[in-house]
Parts: sequence; structure tokens; C-alpha cells
Amino acid sequence: MSMMWRLDMRRPSLRQWGVVACAALGLTLPMRAPAAQAETVRMTVSYYSAATGPYFEKMAKEFHAANPSIDIKIEVVNWPNLLQKLQTDISAGANADISIIGTRWLLDFVHDGIAEPLDGHMDAAFKDGFIGPFLKPGQIDGKTYGLPIAASARALYYNKAMLTKAGFPNGPDTWDDVVAAATKIKADGGNGFGLMAKGTEVDVYYYYALWSYGGEVLDSHNKAAFDSPAGIKALTLYKSMLDQGLTEPGPTNYTREDLQNQFKQGRLGMVITAPFLIGQIAKEAPTLEYGIVPVPKGTTRATYAVTDSVVMFKNSKVKPAAYKWLQFLFSKPARVEFNKNEGFLPTTKAAAADPLFTENKRLNIFVSLLPDARFAPTVTGWEDTAKAVTDALQSVYLGTATPEAALKTAAAKANQSLGK
Amino acid sequence: MLPWLLIMPSLVLAFGVIGYPFYEIIRLSVSDVSRFGQLRGFVGFANFVTIATDPIFVAALVRTLVWTIAVVGGTILLSIPVALVLNQDFAGRGLARIIVMLPWSIALSMAAIVWMWAFNADYGMINATLRQWGIIGQSVQWLARPETAFPVEIGIGIVVSIPFTTTIVLGGLSSVPGEIYEAARIDGARPWQSFLHMTLPMLGPFLNIAIVLNVIHVFSSFPIIWVMTQGGPDNSTHILVTYLYELSFYLGRPGPAAAVSLVMLVIVFGATALYMRLRAKDGI
Repeated sequence: MSMMWRLDMRRPSLRQWGVVACAALGLTLPMRAPAAQAETVRMTVSYYSAATGPYFEKMAKEFHAANPSIDIKIEVVNWPNLLQKLQTDISAGANADISIIGTRWLLDFVHDGIAEPLDGHMDAAFKDGFIGPFLKPGQIDGKTYGLPIAASARALYYNKAMLTKAGFPNGPDTWDDVVAAATKIKADGGNGFGLMAKGTEVDVYYYYALWSYGGEVLDSHNKAAFDSPAGIKALTLYKSMLDQGLTEPGPTNYTREDLQNQFKQGRLGMVITAPFLIGQIAKEAPTLEYGIVPVPKGTTRATYAVTDSVVMFKNSKVKPAAYKWLQFLFSKPARVEFNKNEGFLPTTKAAAADPLFTENKRLNIFVSLLPDARFAPTVTGWEDTAKAVTDALQSVYLGTATPEAALKTAAAKANQSLGK
Repeated sequence: MLPWLLIMPSLVLAFGVIGYPFYEIIRLSVSDVSRFGQLRGFVGFANFVTIATDPIFVAALVRTLVWTIAVVGGTILLSIPVALVLNQDFAGRGLARIIVMLPWSIALSMAAIVWMWAFNADYGMINATLRQWGIIGQSVQWLARPETAFPVEIGIGIVVSIPFTTTIVLGGLSSVPGEIYEAARIDGARPWQSFLHMTLPMLGPFLNIAIVLNVIHVFSSFPIIWVMTQGGPDNSTHILVTYLYELSFYLGRPGPAAAVSLVMLVIVFGATALYMRLRAKDGI
């Protein structure tokens, strides 16, 4: 689990100390010519992997070489702490000029007038460069606030050796296949299907099955709809797999990372997760034989897609410079290198045309799933809904509530916050 | 007049450091506040009503009391014998004292991460050791269920509180003059009697301090529970401070979160005042 506490102490730079020292002595710094006056753009980025920080530092250096009048300062923050850091920074007026955020948080930023609409900065060509469905979640009321910097979709990874032995050498296609395969794997003493119920995205792991049975998380009025028959069927499926021992024991103890680690070690037959596991396996378990198939089908086909966005803050004093830096970040070479490092899907058309994607069969499976992909809706109370559903799932897995009762309670709870 | 002038700077500083955040918390607790701290208006006691009607809050409140009493009680019960042993004169006492004190030097969040791995069901040393000794056949999912997760967290709370408490008790023991034990022995007192009637009463003031400081620390201790279970599964290990954090930073509700922190302040203040009064009546 990546629960490391990174203290983001902002140390004054040497120059800032210099300014303080000179001011104290009643001196002024020698003024440089106005044209060479350096502007500093601060950017908060989230820690995706060990490569994230070095990548942005490298880009900042390249950008500075081309634009000597603009300095870029990068601060890297872990995902679990990112929203908290932004919240405290913004409350104190000490936020950076631009930041990566989870796109599902965007509405709160826009409501409070914190995010800058980017339409005035962007020209048509730049905007058209994005892959449409990935840009859409960053748009609210017809204005673009967030540019998609990272995108992923979900598919099912399966262990080839285990699934071949269980009679599904090409992976499962439906939930019935998953149950049949997991039953055989269990008979051999293994864990068939990975079920996560701790940490972030516990709710999403359940939505895979919900959607595949034709259910919806919210209805057209943005009210809870996951307690539908499809939702109950999906949760009953997971619960029955748990009860039959077809999953790892004690899912409330397993985060997504825990399941991915189990899969890498060849101790888990199947797990649904994002494309970045491909890169992790290549690095950490290169001998593992595995395949990737779409999220299993119930009555229909569905997957989950998610983007992270870059936003510019309204209180930034260097907006043109910050926008210039964004243009640089979304240029083709910068995008391709980012995706290569992190294993995300391309968000711009130019990057998608790169051989990195067109010739990567495994990544292409994820790209092919995008037409059926659902995004988290832009609605207030989404975090509360996630929390209510997560609580419901955990209570069902712990055996303290039935699927139907737990989902009804969660729906009532979610409706208290949805759309408010 | 001069004395007042002299202490004025520290008074102003103290009021600033304590008073301003206190004012802010009160202001937030009676306001409708956005995730990013923008005040949207005065709501009176609505935030307090919100939390009081939240079953998770009520459960967390009760659990916080259990947590505090169990951790502080366990710590005191274990620290006294540890301090008594370390107070004896034996070869290697210095080393033993260092070993007992060492865990203190580790940040609580680090210690919690180490313990989280120790209790990991698949690779943790606790399960590995128990398996080796033949006590368990299959891995125990310690943190998956509230019945095991919360007691484990209480146990860790006790372990990390022992060094500090032992230090205070040791300080108390070293202030007890050795002669009185000699006198007691000559008068025929057994070790148990001299502990009960001499050592314990003399430790009274030190135990008081240890209890009060521990209650304040443990009551609002965040890292152990947050690192190991984040209050889950199904909110079954939330104490007030983890509930507050989740409310403020995950669900984006600084208003109700400020209300929770005021409730916590009142409880800690009340508990401390009550305890001090009770002990004062005892004349210790």
C-alpha cells in the first residue's frame, strides 16, 4: 500500500533568502532588464509512480530552455493526500498556479470559483487535439476547466496458467465463466477472483458488475439507482463468490494494490484493474504469463473510464505563462513520454497515433473498450455516494447486512447529498 | 504593573496561538462552509444537529471512549511493572532502559506502518510466527474484521504509549527514598505490601500526570487507526478524530468537521477537569 507520508515542506529558495537578506539590509537586488524578468509557474502534480517527479522536472527543464523567461516549479504529492493538500492550500490562498486533480472533484472547484475557464486561452486546433470523450468530463456548463492529463479504463487480467488449467485458456467472457473458472481454481487450492473492499475505488469494483447487468449508479435525475434489481444481482454475485471461497479470504483487508501484488506473484487468477498494471508486471514479474479481456459480461458489456485533469487556478498571477506550459505538456513528445512512463491511455489524438499505442496489443484492448466506457458523473455528492456504497459493500462482505438492505440504506444516504 | 508588562508578550502570544484557531473553529462550526473554506452563510447549530443525527458519529463517540479507556488503562497497568523492573539494580539495566525507550523515537505514523505490515495477512510476521508455532493453520485476516482489527489497534496503542509512561513512572520511583523500604522490611512488610501501601501512593502524582497526558494524547491519536484501517471496514473502527478527518478531507465538509472537533475539545477538557478534581479531593 502506498501510504507514505510525504511532508511537503516548502523551503525558501536561495534567491528568496537573498531577497529577505537584502531587504533586511535595506538593499535592493540589482534589477534585470524587464524582458528577462523571470516568471515562476508553480504546478502541483500527483505521484503516479517513481517516474512522475523526474518526468515533470525534465519537462520543466526543457520548457525553460525554450522559454528562458519562465521558471517551472513542480511539487509532487501522493494521491491519498492530494485533495487534502489542495484544500488547505486553497483555503490559505497558497495554492500553486496549476494542478492535477481527480476530474470528479472538478465540480467543487468550479462551484467555488477556484478553477479558471480555459476556453479564452485555447485555440480551436489545441482543443480539437484532445480525444473527445476524455475532454468531456472536464467541461461544465459548456466551459472547459480541466484538460485530461491521464486516462485509464478497466479490463480483466487473468493468469494464463491458472485459467488454462481451469478450462478458459482465452480468459473468461461472462460472469458465469468467472464463477466456473474460479471454482476450478479453488479446487486446486488457489484464489480465483480478486475482490477488493478496502481503500479507494471499492465502489467502482462493484459498479463493473452492476453495469454489466444493465444497472446504473445514478438515474437521469442524478438520484441513486444502484439499489435496482441489477445492483442487487451484482452484489449477490460477489457475495456468493466470497461465500463459496472463490475470492481471496477477507476482502475487507485488500486494496487494489494488494490484489495487483497478489496477481503479480501468480497467487490470484483474475483481477479487474487499470492498464498501468501492464508496466508493473513488465518490470516486477516479467515471467508472468497473463492475458487481458474485457470486464466480464452479464447481460451487457461495460467498463469504467476515468481521467485526471489539469486545472488552472483563478488566483494565478501568471496565467499566460502557465498556459504556455500547458501547451508544452500536451505536445506530442511530452504526452508520449508521459504515457510510456505511467502506462496510461493517450488523451490526445497525436499521441494515440504513436506506435507506442498502435503497436501495443495489450494497451489496445483498453482502447477498444472505450465506446462502452462509463465515466464518473459530474455531480455534487459523488464522494458521499462512493462512501455510502463502500460502507454497504463492506457490511455485506462482513455478513452484517443483506445485499438488498445494505444497498437501500446506501441509496437513502447517498440521496441526502446528491445534487445538493 | 511592571510584572504585567513583562509577561505581556507571552500572554499576547498565547492568546494569539490558542485564541485565533479557537475563534476560527467556532466560526466554521456555525457556518455553511464549502470544501475549500468559503463561508456560504450562518447556519446556527445545524452542523451540530447533522453530526448528532449521524449514527457513524454516535458509534465513533462510544468507540473513542472504549479506545481511550482501554489504551490508557492498559498502558498504566503495563508501565508500572516495567518501570519497577527497570528501577531494580541489575547488570545491563542501562541497555534495558534504552530498549524500552527506543520505540519512542519512531514517529507514530511510521510505527503504525510497520505494525500494519506485521499484521498483514499474507506476508506479515505475526501470522508467520503463529503458523510456525502451530497456533494457527490458516492466515488470520487481522484487519479485515472489526472483532480483530480494533483490539489489534488498541494493543498497538498500548505498546507505543509504554515508553513515555514508563519514563514518568521511573521518574516517580527514583524520587522514593530507599530507606523507607528498609524500615518497612524491618517492620515485617512483604514486598507486595510495601508496593501497595508505599510505592503506589507515592507514585500518585506521577500516575496522575501520566493518566492525564495519555488521555489527551490517546483520545485524539490519529495515525494508528488511520494507517491500519482508515476507520473501516464499514466504519467499524472509526474514532472521533478519524471520523473528523474523513468528514473534512474526503467528504469535503469543514463545517460539521469543526463541530466534531469542538465536541472533542469539550470532552477532553471535561475529562481532565473532572479527573483533576477527583484527585484533588483525595488529597493527593
